[in-house]
Amino acid sequence: MDNFELICPAGTPAALRAAVDAGADAVYLGFRDETNARNFPGLNFTRQDVADAVDYAHARRVEVYVAINTYPQAGNLGPWQKAVDDAARLKVDAVILADPGLLAYAAKRHPDLRLHLSVQASAANVEAIRLYRDAFGVRRVVLPRVLTVPEIAKLNAEIDIETEVFVFGGLCPMAEGRCSLSSYATGLSPNKQGVCSPANHVRYEQRGGALASTLGGFTINVFGEAEQAGYPTLCKGRFVAGDGVGEGPAYLFEEPTSLNAMDLLPELKAAGVRALKIEGRQRGKAYIAAVVRAYREALESFAAGRPVSHIDLQAMVEGGTQTTGAYTRGWR
Amino acid sequence: MRDPDVAPNVFASDAPAFYERARRFETGLSRAGLGLVPKLGRRASDALLARLLRLLAERHPRAFEALREMPDARVLIEPVDAPVALLMRVGHDLSLHALPRGVDGVDETGADAVVRGPYARLLDLLEGRIDGDALFFRRELSISGDTALILALRNTLDGEEEMDLVADAASIAGPLARALPVLRRNAGPVLDRIEAARRLLPPPLRRGIERVEARITGVLPGTRA
Repeated sequence: MDNFELICPAGTPAALRAAVDAGADAVYLGFRDETNARNFPGLNFTRQDVADAVDYAHARRVEVYVAINTYPQAGNLGPWQKAVDDAARLKVDAVILADPGLLAYAAKRHPDLRLHLSVQASAANVEAIRLYRDAFGVRRVVLPRVLTVPEIAKLNAEIDIETEVFVFGGLCPMAEGRCSLSSYATGLSPNKQGVCSPANHVRYEQRGGALASTLGGFTINVFGEAEQAGYPTLCKGRFVAGDGVGEGPAYLFEEPTSLNAMDLLPELKAAGVRALKIEGRQRGKAYIAAVVRAYREALESFAAGRPVSHIDLQAMVEGGTQTTGAYTRGWR
Repeated sequence: MRDPDVAPNVFASDAPAFYERARRFETGLSRAGLGLVPKLGRRASDALLARLLRLLAERHPRAFEALREMPDARVLIEPVDAPVALLMRVGHDLSLHALPRGVDGVDETGADAVVRGPYARLLDLLEGRIDGDALFFRRELSISGDTALILALRNTLDGEEEMDLVADAASIAGPLARALPVLRRNAGPVLDRIEAARRLLPPPLRRGIERVEARITGVLPGTRA
């Protein structure tokens, strides 16, 4: 039985080295532009950075994947196609794509380049996954964070390409189009420009002891004095429903909490999952080192048949809470 | 797949307690050093910080090049438990200034964004020892003003390898540069011995020593930096 592959994030070259040194099997990253879904200030890789990253990782038998997972718009395909060309030229091990047109371009221009289907594509059923495999030769699909473990097992039983699932970090189920909330509030799209809750539209204000977060002028949350905070995303905002009478503000979409599926390694293995993904390209290298090390240790224990040791990752999670998310339908 | 022969040592234990205590002591000393900067007078403190900035730029060219490429803006970095804050101007005219804390706090005029938190946490953050988002979730760090500017600054500095600001700052202070590695190597065991000896002292003397330590490091007795 093959071991899981541990796929780890890197927002900077220093984070990449932290991930490799802490035990990643592969590291995923993005170019410094709108072609990836974490297009944040000061983050991501120049072409030279990617070349250096590939050298560093390959010398240690670690793979590098490049996420090019935003959606190109009509009349502006250039940056996305160039990103695919450059990734191939720089000898990365796979590109993570979402747009069917870009998948077709990559499959035609770079037939030897390994293609992974991004979670952004939200392929969650057998027919969709087979289509991506047959049409473009996709070798792996990153499953959206909306499936239960039994659903993943059923899916894997019917497909013959690898599946990758998220095991730690932000819960960001994009299948329901919630990213449109951020587009509405800011005029900038997570799916087109790679910016969810773009930082230049975010403001924090102290209101007495409370912390208020605003996005595009909308107040989206107010955290009490002793309350742990979350990201300034609308899907994790607190709102008053209906006419606002009676009930106070509540989380209508998601709560600020982080996925941690470490307890589910046996179930995910039994379900036929190939790779486990840690989220957080926007996080610091201290987060990368801590989370990757914890998961590497857990995977070593699991592979050796020992009980999975629990390293406390509570300090790293959003809102101070952890969940197994949709895998066990535990977050609601 | 990863080569098992080059698998990382993921089972290494966490930093031993004496290292953490040495770090706390070092942090306290550097905070006390920072408190002395404005006492030099505006011109001398600006010159000293400019020298520090040049040294940091030489040692961390990638990060400082990125800071110079940012649009002109000012970030106030305010340790809430230190007598002084730092105003960093990013962009082409990169500079650093010390702002003393008055009775009403620090003058925020001219700052496009403000980052506040305990000195030790801010130092850990600047050196990439701790995750900024995690600090923010726990409300140990607060930010206001231009969030994009703070994010860019954080990501730029976090992208740098091996930041050691205490050693960098010490290296412009001549004898301290030579003393610091020795101090670091010995601080943990020495502190352990001092702690053992302290337990044997009568309570009034013990409290007196704690007060002296607090004055040196700026940490109130019974609290942690």
